[in-house]
Amino acid sequence: MTIKSLSKKERLFRAIKREKIDRPPCICPGGMMNMIIEDIMDITKVEWPEAHRDAEMMAKLTMGVCENGGFENFGVPFCMTVEAESMGATVGLGTKINEPRVIEYPINSVTEWKNLKELNLNKGRTKVVLDAIKILKSKNSDVPIIANLVGPVSTASSLMEPVDYYKELRKKPKEAHEFMEFVTKNLICFAKAEIEAGADILAISDPSGTGEILGPKLFAEFAAPYLNKIVSAIKNYTPGGTIIHICGKLKSVYGILNSLDSDVISFDSIANVKEVANNVNNKAIMGNVSTLALEKSSPDIIKNLSRGCIKSGVNILSPACGIGPRTKLENIQSMVEVAKESASENIILKLS
Amino acid sequence: MSHIKEKLLKDLAESVVDMDEDNAVDIANDFIERKYDPYEGISNGLAIGMDKAGKLYEEEEYYIPELLMCSDAMYAGMDVLRPHLKYDETDEKYKAVVGVVEGDTHDIGKNLFKIMLETTGFEVYDLGRDVPPNEFINKAKELGAKLIGLSTLMTTTMDNMEIVINLLKEEGMRDDVVVMVGGGPISQNFADKIGADGYAPEASRAARLAKDLVRGKMNAIV
Repeated sequence: MTIKSLSKKERLFRAIKREKIDRPPCICPGGMMNMIIEDIMDITKVEWPEAHRDAEMMAKLTMGVCENGGFENFGVPFCMTVEAESMGATVGLGTKINEPRVIEYPINSVTEWKNLKELNLNKGRTKVVLDAIKILKSKNSDVPIIANLVGPVSTASSLMEPVDYYKELRKKPKEAHEFMEFVTKNLICFAKAEIEAGADILAISDPSGTGEILGPKLFAEFAAPYLNKIVSAIKNYTPGGTIIHICGKLKSVYGILNSLDSDVISFDSIANVKEVANNVNNKAIMGNVSTLALEKSSPDIIKNLSRGCIKSGVNILSPACGIGPRTKLENIQSMVEVAKESASENIILKLS
Repeated sequence: MSHIKEKLLKDLAESVVDMDEDNAVDIANDFIERKYDPYEGISNGLAIGMDKAGKLYEEEEYYIPELLMCSDAMYAGMDVLRPHLKYDETDEKYKAVVGVVEGDTHDIGKNLFKIMLETTGFEVYDLGRDVPPNEFINKAKELGAKLIGLSTLMTTTMDNMEIVINLLKEEGMRDDVVVMVGGGPISQNFADKIGADGYAPEASRAARLAKDLVRGKMNAIV
């Protein structure tokens, strides 16, 4: 049976729910999973770092990706510092090709979480992101809008020295949980505002809170429950669903991944698609074209990798992580072309 | 070797593996009071423990938080032993410069590499994070470093490693130093592509490789 050609939004919504689709969508959420490249900055005449603090520029830049044959979604912001900055971290906005990063932490220990500011939706770059989503929404296009959120562990470890943070998870678990509650509460606040502003989908990335770093025990105690708190708080308001991206090796935490409540799991190129598909049975699978290949190799190789991902069973084709800003547009276009050429037989078969 | 000394060395190693800072300090003090050689306490006690911790990490028994706590115990013991070192007793140490490349502030991997390098006998200068390419070159030149360690956790900043290597070539220094790269997104394939000398997926293996590569290079020059 064939399905009529879907709009970009319909297609992604259906892929997320693991429903029948004409072909897999090819997306890159933004946020930690950066989609912005120099080529697009040159075409749109909108550049980093200015676009990180201007809603119009932010919207224009992400639209530029899709409009030039790139990923089939919009996504903001372009960094993972907005939340921490609003809670008190000092951020350096970087350059045209270097992303923003935290340069000064507001607290020294999990015990000091009461000294943090509550995330403020009405000023600074949180407001820029919300305004950018409103602008994207006002375009009324058929392109899905993805709002990004930095995960709880990554936000927490952007507010204090990560080395001390990781140790205090073991040394001061009680206070560490209080800190995580505070961070999560504020993240929920931002996530809700992003959805209210018009985002279709929420993507949460938690690169500092992986099973590979924390180990299965601490992952189950400090990462998974807080990720789930965010998902369950926004689930009913998010039209398209939720994506969680986990970096690194997944082997030690396969069991726990099933307990995450997101609709989609996205993962690194180090993890094997078939293995993830075999171990995670309650989510759509998204991934995982090597970002190194995207940046350094040719369209032919990228096409082969992309075909491999689809063949292995991804529901959504995407890069494995954030792409380097020096990646060529041509290489991204070749990924999208593969998605377009492929009939999604595997998905249809799986459901029939 | 006396029984007591042997036992203390074993206890020093164990205090590190057990992440027990207080114990490491107590045993190190005991070790000094008995007039044993502090250098032995470091290399045959604390460093052995850290090496064991590194292996537990490779075997996925320990993860980053555990490894960091082990290193705290090691440094606590070292702080007690170090002031008693007589300098002529220590080996001549190779110098290393490590840092996280520009654009990235994630430095867990770099910190672990530094710890393990010190355990294998390097004298390490830590440039910190978000380090512009020039600073690696300048510091290596100034110190006469034999090793440069470049780290990043972000795929978006990996390119800056190649820039450092190219700068070394421009400065005519490339043949004098071993360049190691590491971090989450880095692979052997990437290391080969940008012309780095070495890569290992994990800090204690990377430190062992670093020592082998530097020794190999020194022997080749002599």
